Amino acid sequence: MSDEQPLAVQVQGMHFGYDGRTPVFQGLDLAVARGVSYGLLGPNGAGKTTLLRLVAGRLKPSRGSVLVLGHTPHPSLTRDIGLMPQSSAVYPELTARENVDFFARMYGMSRRGERRERVEEVLRFVELEERQNTHVSRLSGGMRQRVSLACALVHRPPLLLLDEPTVGLDPELRASFWEHFRSMAGEGTTLLISSHTMDDAAHCDRLAFLRSGRVVAEGSPETLRRATGRPDASLEDAFLHFARQEAGDVSR
Amino acid sequence: MSLDRTLAIAQRLVRQIRRDRRTMALMVVAPVVVLTLIGLSFAERSQVLDFIAPAVLATFSLLFVFLLTGIGFLRERASGTLDRLLATPVGRFDLLVGYLLGFLGFAALQALIILLYTVYVLNVTFRGNLWEVILFLLVLTATSVNLGIFVSTFAHNEFQVMQFIPLLLAPQIFLSGIFLRVGEMPGYLQAIATVLPLRYAVDGLRALMLEGAHLPDVARELAILVGIGVVVLGLASLTVRRV
Ligand SMILES: Nc1ncnc2c1ncn2[C@@H]1O[C@H](COP(=O)(O)OP(=O)(O)OP(=O)(O)O)[C@@H](O)[C@H]1O
Ligand SMILES: [Mg+2]
Repeated sequence: MSDEQPLAVQVQGMHFGYDGRTPVFQGLDLAVARGVSYGLLGPNGAGKTTLLRLVAGRLKPSRGSVLVLGHTPHPSLTRDIGLMPQSSAVYPELTARENVDFFARMYGMSRRGERRERVEEVLRFVELEERQNTHVSRLSGGMRQRVSLACALVHRPPLLLLDEPTVGLDPELRASFWEHFRSMAGEGTTLLISSHTMDDAAHCDRLAFLRSGRVVAEGSPETLRRATGRPDASLEDAFLHFARQEAGDVSR
Repeated sequence: MSLDRTLAIAQRLVRQIRRDRRTMALMVVAPVVVLTLIGLSFAERSQVLDFIAPAVLATFSLLFVFLLTGIGFLRERASGTLDRLLATPVGRFDLLVGYLLGFLGFAALQALIILLYTVYVLNVTFRGNLWEVILFLLVLTATSVNLGIFVSTFAHNEFQVMQFIPLLLAPQIFLSGIFLRVGEMPGYLQAIATVLPLRYAVDGLRALMLEGAHLPDVARELAILVGIGVVVLGLASLTVRRV
């Protein structure tokens, strides 16, 4: 896209395996422009979580590179990244507000007044201001997800990594999450979102179909649908189409 | 390191434990029950009781904090909050020192209760200064926090943390001179005892509680405990980032 600004995420020829024996990625390439919502789609075990952790700097590639906002991940870059892990990963004994406040402090928001304002803003954003003083252990699963999202974005990161953020949400809540995501992308935040539902995929600006650690197709939802050659194809059809094509390529 | 992050972690731990009423209750009830049993069984031999009481105090301080940190850290790993924490700018020493500060208050409280109970209810001889004894115990606690964090890297669930208790604590309990003075044990066991923190804690506490010694008199024991603490802190800091 723009030449002056580095890409939000640029993965080039990246290799990674958890124990060296079973590789998860063998030469992965991926480019995510700034200010888009980018969907990582793929079945269980495709490598979505692993990729997000590599981007977050929690794992290191054995070969190739992962550049985030133009840099190799390092501790000071973590300020620019918000991570919402696959499990809600918040403290059940603390209230919603205490959780968000805690992570705000971890991100270096040490001034109390400023932090309070931001925490309240984020809690309003995820529509939890009425339950902010409830212990997370007493919140519903969907509410817990929202606390988790709030913790990930409290420090206004330009890059948000969301690992299956919509799992377990009712349709109404799912729609409201997507409204949030789109409004953030509209303000210039880059969102890298993993999912295995095609419903999520349809909301993204761009998609990568991931299967066994390989990108089998990449593009806008519209392009991917059209590439199947059938006008009425759904994203689900598109995914199956590319998955089969890939399987065919390999066996030949 | 950042002071605000360290304090935030400590405050969070204090909140989490305070809201866990049962842990709060057990942390007082368990040592009191054990001490009462010991007190009753040695009722006729107050000298033996005097000899054992400082050791029980030290053992509880070590065990209590080891369990809190071991399981607390394990839960951070398992629930994904550690992953999330380590994706923030938090440093490993922020985490380790935060945990330490968070648990020190509880450890001090527990030590105070045990001490008051032994002295006023069980009538164990006490010639020392209360605050010196507590300060001494806090140094032991610091070692224990780091030991808990270190061990939690090798345990994948709560059951495994439990299995480390006999492994790490039984040798300390039997070889640290709780029942038998270290000098009366076979030579090779004495050699093992030289690296056990509990051994120095027991020696130091006996001096402080029974012989009316003051902190400067147990400087050697304190220094060794700090030394062991620093080594374990180093080990814990190496493994804290492993998920
Ligand atoms: N901690 C780990 N240690 C070893 N192997 C792992 C670990 N985590 C994941 N893997 C392996 O890496 C591969 C990719 O897993 P990953 O969790 O990235 O998939 P995913 O796309 O996120 O799946 P899901 O949709 O189920 O969340 C799988 O084969 C998995 O078995
Ligand atoms: Mg996953």
